[in-house]
Amino acid sequence: MNPLQRLRARRREREEPLIDVETIPRRRLTIVLAIAVGLASLPMLITYILLILTSFSNTAGMLTISDLAHYVPTIQPWIDFLEGKVEPTAGHLYTTMEILGIILNTLIVAAGVSIVVVLTSTMAGYAFSRIRFRGRKALMQLVMILHAFPGVALIIAVYALYVWSLAALPPSAWNTYAFIYVILSRASLEIPMSIWLMKGFFDKIPWEVEWAAIVDGASRIRVWREIVLPLVKPGIAALSIFAFLAGWEDFIYVWVFLKPRDIYTLATFIEEQVRNLETAYFPVVAAAGTLYLIPTIIFFITTQHLLLETYAGGMKA
Amino acid sequence: MVEVRLENVTKKFGRVVALRDINLRFRDGKFTVVLGPSGSGKSTLLYLIAGIYKPTRGRIYFDDKDVTNLPPNKRNVGLVFQNYALYPHMTVYENIAFPLKLRKTPQRKIDEKVHEVAKLLHIEELLDRYPHQLSGGQQQRVALARALVKEPAVLLLDEPLSNLDALLRVKIRAELKKLQEQLGITAIYVTHDQAEAMALADEIIVIHRGVIQQKAPPKKIYEEPANLFVAGFIGNPPTNLLKARLVDGAIELGGSRITIPARLPRDGYIVVGFRPEHASVDAEPLENHASIPGEVYVVEDMGKEKILTIIIGGEMVKVIAPPTAEFKPGDKVYVNIPYRRIMLFDPETGARIEA
Amino acid sequence: MGAERLRSFLTSRRGHLAFFLAPALTLITIFYLVPLILSIYISLTPLKYWQLNRYLTDLSHPLENYYRLFYLVTHHPDIGKVVITTIVFTGLTLVVNVVGGLLLALATYLMEERFSLFYRTLWLLPRMTPIAVYSLLWYYFFHGSRFGILNSILLSLGVIHKPVWWGVDEKLLPWGAWMILVYVNGLVGVSFGMIIFYSALRSIPREQVMAARVDGATTTQLIRYVLIPSIKWHIVFVTVWELLSLLTTYAHIFLLVEWGLIDKWWGTTWALFVFNTAFTAQALDQGLAAAAATVLVAIGLVLGLITLKIMGFKELMIEPRGEL
Repeated sequence: MNPLQRLRARRREREEPLIDVETIPRRRLTIVLAIAVGLASLPMLITYILLILTSFSNTAGMLTISDLAHYVPTIQPWIDFLEGKVEPTAGHLYTTMEILGIILNTLIVAAGVSIVVVLTSTMAGYAFSRIRFRGRKALMQLVMILHAFPGVALIIAVYALYVWSLAALPPSAWNTYAFIYVILSRASLEIPMSIWLMKGFFDKIPWEVEWAAIVDGASRIRVWREIVLPLVKPGIAALSIFAFLAGWEDFIYVWVFLKPRDIYTLATFIEEQVRNLETAYFPVVAAAGTLYLIPTIIFFITTQHLLLETYAGGMKA
Repeated sequence: MVEVRLENVTKKFGRVVALRDINLRFRDGKFTVVLGPSGSGKSTLLYLIAGIYKPTRGRIYFDDKDVTNLPPNKRNVGLVFQNYALYPHMTVYENIAFPLKLRKTPQRKIDEKVHEVAKLLHIEELLDRYPHQLSGGQQQRVALARALVKEPAVLLLDEPLSNLDALLRVKIRAELKKLQEQLGITAIYVTHDQAEAMALADEIIVIHRGVIQQKAPPKKIYEEPANLFVAGFIGNPPTNLLKARLVDGAIELGGSRITIPARLPRDGYIVVGFRPEHASVDAEPLENHASIPGEVYVVEDMGKEKILTIIIGGEMVKVIAPPTAEFKPGDKVYVNIPYRRIMLFDPETGARIEA
Repeated sequence: MGAERLRSFLTSRRGHLAFFLAPALTLITIFYLVPLILSIYISLTPLKYWQLNRYLTDLSHPLENYYRLFYLVTHHPDIGKVVITTIVFTGLTLVVNVVGGLLLALATYLMEERFSLFYRTLWLLPRMTPIAVYSLLWYYFFHGSRFGILNSILLSLGVIHKPVWWGVDEKLLPWGAWMILVYVNGLVGVSFGMIIFYSALRSIPREQVMAARVDGATTTQLIRYVLIPSIKWHIVFVTVWELLSLLTTYAHIFLLVEWGLIDKWWGTTWALFVFNTAFTAQALDQGLAAAAATVLVAIGLVLGLITLKIMGFKELMIEPRGEL
């Protein structure tokens, strides 16, 4: 069993349906509430579904509900999209874009953010949870307050630093540098909360495990790597997924740092296409959007318990 | 005050049967204790009466009124939980007043009632405090006050004393008994503690694995347990139960034959039971007693008495001896049991065999 | 010799601490602390067009940007719209988020589990959807042509007779743009309240709910007297936290404005104004943007401190055991 499955299994045990079912008149209330919430969810549901359907349609633009009556599914928009024929409305004069490259760019950013976040916060989280040092509380508090700082205030100066440091590098290295910079700066945004999350996981490990290893002669770093880390695998799994999704979905940082260098990710690709919708082909945009949504949905369905728990874990009464 | 009746009540949770075909009558104004180990279904039984659960099959009556489908707020029952379940955001006063407030009782009347019940339970000086400022015993009283303030038709108590320390438990137990007699309220009390059950009950219902084992006054439960489970569950130390062979209508135990003035099958097996406090340990057999030879294994001196563990034919039994008894491990002794104190059980069904 | 020194440092207690904290603290310093100070510094310089060499050392008129900002807010009609939009948007969305989150949490708490799980998952979806896709969805929904989902539905129902540009039509401004803003952000925001409130409700001891029922409470009374009072601190926490996020959120709005779905000024909030002023070709006025950002930083600091207080931060910092 991998750590994720284990977490989910543990979760299932606790997720037993309330057995005080009858303290609340469930059945009738459930029906009323389900209908009410269902109505409130309707616009959202319709929009998600129509977007996905549009990506499989041969409509000229946006699919409407009345189009569904004579809906014929086709994978043409997907083929056009993956071949990079993004503006097929202009006859055979396609504007082509390197779609696989775009997907790869998105993956690089997401994976990079995930790795940086996991590495730094499992280390720092351990220190905050397990090592006694002066200023521990104050430092943690500082980190948490930083998290509350408006990202928009940071990005101006972060970009200024980028412009300044770029001057010191040969132009041939600029693209690589832009990638590294995006990854590090985007990851930094996730670090405060991730340290906090990992600290929570470390807090739960019994001290005796660690003492036993230290008494046996292991160094602190070794204890961390060989004894403690395996015990927080579920936490690491959760964190890497969250961080991956954060990098995957990022728009602002890739727009600021990569787009000016003509490096696109799915986010900036969609932005660019919709901006030029007079010439772009909406089903292709819908296909891009659907593809962009897929990892999110997969992770979301497989880890939604984890997600609910992690978000809710931020607050203890 | 009402009489509570359960007719053919079965409760299932999914595929698990918590209670199986229960027929019971809780007598009006009496203190009934439902006794059973954890997982026996005793709390489920209580919650069925409260209306928190609905029976899968069967009906529940308060007097002649069918309450099976009535939600808890329409049943007028008072319920005290093991963890008291006081509302942490309300003062003691507000906690007690809550049921009345929900009934839209006029404020003046609420005030009067709350003070009346607070006086009854000696918690008048606590009314302004919050639950977390109270000791366990005080919280327990507040929970009781909240249950009593609405003058419930029946008072339900779910292990109300088990979160208290041992000394306090004995003290409140006595007060609870007095209070119930004073009010004459129908009380149903769930516990796993047999001493509590014996002390409080007008009538005890022993339940195990969702089935009623016996329903009788405490004395009868103690002296005439209906089956092996009840015999083993009631008493401390528990009843000694020994499996024995029948030879020509006599019981063969620990190498000796005991003839009992009772009609028994010629052969087969039987379970012999006796309570530790009913037997005596002596150097030789006694007249009119079943005498079984054995060897002293351990002596535990409890001060007011000694508990002897004795090996009889490979099995251990416990016997309570007076503090003056002088035995040491290894002594060859006889365990003497008066004939009328011997209980016999069918090893197959567990049922008691009447002498 | 050097290697020897390093080794002995790494095996000391301070060495361990440095090893564990260095990576995170380095990144935090480079990408939080330095930018924070730098940002305030930039607000004192006339930096524009990212001409660092030219403007960054110019501290001759340190408060110039703040004067300009004040002047723009009080005199420039479009910037005035930004301020009003920020206030209305933040206020309305906050109410929607907290009340909506509470309603959803109560509804899912009272429902049977399978429905509850479905809805909780569904309502988390907007939060998880990549910003670009999420904006695309609502672009599609509120699009002003007859193919926009809302228009097409209303047209076929006969409620309207020609397609409506919900976010830019002069006759509907400013409320048309505001409604879209509130709806789009509200949908993301409610899920946070829902999750926090739901888990808080679930952690109320079962016996308390039972006791209330036995005491005679109807479902409404149960909610009013037991459930809501039990989670009042969670409500405060969510309110402050949401306020903070609403003041600083701008990515969705950036796209909706850029794509022409909502009016440029009635659809721009303060945070977006900061971003546009710094980064879009029409402005590229980083000094002014930094000054506007400093205002946000000040508000963020106060709200951040309040949140930490509510979270019971001190109690969450468990002391390490032992003397290692």
